[in-house]
Amino acid sequence: MMIQVNNIKKAFGDNRVLRGVTFGVERGEIISVIGPSGSGKSTMLRSLIGLERIDDGSIAVNGEKFVDNGVYVKEREMHRILSHSGMVFQHFNLFPHMSVKKNMTCAPVTNRLMTRAEAEEKCHTLLAKVGLADKLDAMPSSLSGGQKQRVAIARALMTNPDILLFDEPTSALDPELTGEVLEVMKQLAAEHMTMIVVTHEMGFARYISDRVIFMDQGVIAVDEKPEEVFAHPSNARLSAFLGAVHTKEAAN
Amino acid sequence: MVQYIDNIFYPKTEAVIISPTQLINTLKILSQGLGITISLFFIVIFLSIPLGLVLTFMSNSKLGIRTRRGAEIYPLRWLARGFVFLMRGTPLMLQLLFVYFGLPYIGIVLERFPAACVAFVLNYAAYFCEIFRGGIKSIDPGQYEAAQVLGLRKFATTIKIVLPQMIRVAIPSVCNETVNLIKDTALVTTLGLADLMHMTKSLVNSLANVTPFAVAAVIYMVLIFGLSKIFSILEKKTTY
Ligand SMILES: Nc1ncnc2c1ncn2[C@@H]1O[C@H](COP(=O)(O)OP(=O)(O)OP(=O)(O)O)[C@@H](O)[C@H]1O
Ligand SMILES: [Mg+2]
Repeated sequence: MMIQVNNIKKAFGDNRVLRGVTFGVERGEIISVIGPSGSGKSTMLRSLIGLERIDDGSIAVNGEKFVDNGVYVKEREMHRILSHSGMVFQHFNLFPHMSVKKNMTCAPVTNRLMTRAEAEEKCHTLLAKVGLADKLDAMPSSLSGGQKQRVAIARALMTNPDILLFDEPTSALDPELTGEVLEVMKQLAAEHMTMIVVTHEMGFARYISDRVIFMDQGVIAVDEKPEEVFAHPSNARLSAFLGAVHTKEAAN
Repeated sequence: MVQYIDNIFYPKTEAVIISPTQLINTLKILSQGLGITISLFFIVIFLSIPLGLVLTFMSNSKLGIRTRRGAEIYPLRWLARGFVFLMRGTPLMLQLLFVYFGLPYIGIVLERFPAACVAFVLNYAAYFCEIFRGGIKSIDPGQYEAAQVLGLRKFATTIKIVLPQMIRVAIPSVCNETVNLIKDTALVTTLGLADLMHMTKSLVNSLANVTPFAVAAVIYMVLIFGLSKIFSILEKKTTY
């Protein structure tokens, strides 16, 4: 198991956002997470990489638990266990004061995972892969949203992560720019990168992912293959959700 | 000294307009005062900015101690914020007088110039602290999250991500504050230090002519103009 999540719970004050979430992800699997706004998708995803602290439950990456029954391991240990997880954000979160190259090489060079020369070579390769070889020295402010997100993906790939988490990677983009980002994600899928993608892109969920998780009110209501989810939704709230999405897409 | 100059170079005159020779002499005498003004300025800038940064980190520090009764105390944060409140809550003039005339009562005796430096550095550090704190607050939380998921530790995040973005935001206010500092240096006259303002006043007295006021005004403006230029270059350089 690449990631094993066991009965995790999280509340913000009285608001119980995660009420016992359990699932596993195999190496190479691509999971789409869908569900209504406020159902806890982002909170769940952020918990997997230590951006949210859960109150209870366990999470293991590559067989190593960094939180066990709500008790976290020491910071150094957590840092080590999570060093092979990457994340891509809705708003890219590029460092605005650094060039594309610096954005990508800063962390691995600072952490001495590679020399500057190695990092720069890797940076070239990855930028070419996402189709931005010419943007090496560009500043983020000069890039379009789609280009920023592709740089963010390339940046997350610098340390050869075992798993990549995406939180609505195309939601902040103009519709005509989502395609270029989805294209890169498809390419990663073809290379069997393990990915968990919170998304409103039903096309991606349906045709690219291996499994679809439907979250509702802090629990996983459905966890099935996309064909099942889309062709025969077993759950009334899922049908309603898909119906709403469908209507919205048709309206656009 | 002023008396001496008065006798030799400056015959007393009621005229508002002074001769070119007198003007040159005025500039010479005022530039003697400029020495104190400028050295105070640089000492304060070079000490109060780092001290302000230290106060900023203290004031953002999450270091907490839980007392036996269960209350949380944040010693560093409270110390820094209390200090800033004190410095911003009282006039600089009062602080200046307190350091020079008040501290001797608790056994700390400082010469005029060091006393002025201490008061100015402490006062300006408090203002810089607030500017830097605002700059840090303005940074998008997503920056910290990105740094964390990329595996950057806290220290590296501060140095490589937070400070550069903070500086960018802080530059205009820092510029403002340094302009204020140039003008505030005139306060040291009250301690009897022979700064630009002091020299101007005594010259006006001995000449019975107000022209030195105008000359001093021009000198202050030239200094401030130069500063603003330097800062606008800095601002351009840090734009991304
Ligand atoms: N830092 C926080 N403090 C307080 N409440 C929070 C915080 N983060 C999230 N919440 C609350 O937790 C609930 C779930 O939020 P979450 O962002 O996980 O939902 P989501 O499924 O990702 O929704 P969306 O589709 O709108 O992104 C919401 O009610 C939200 O208001
Ligand atoms: Mg969300």
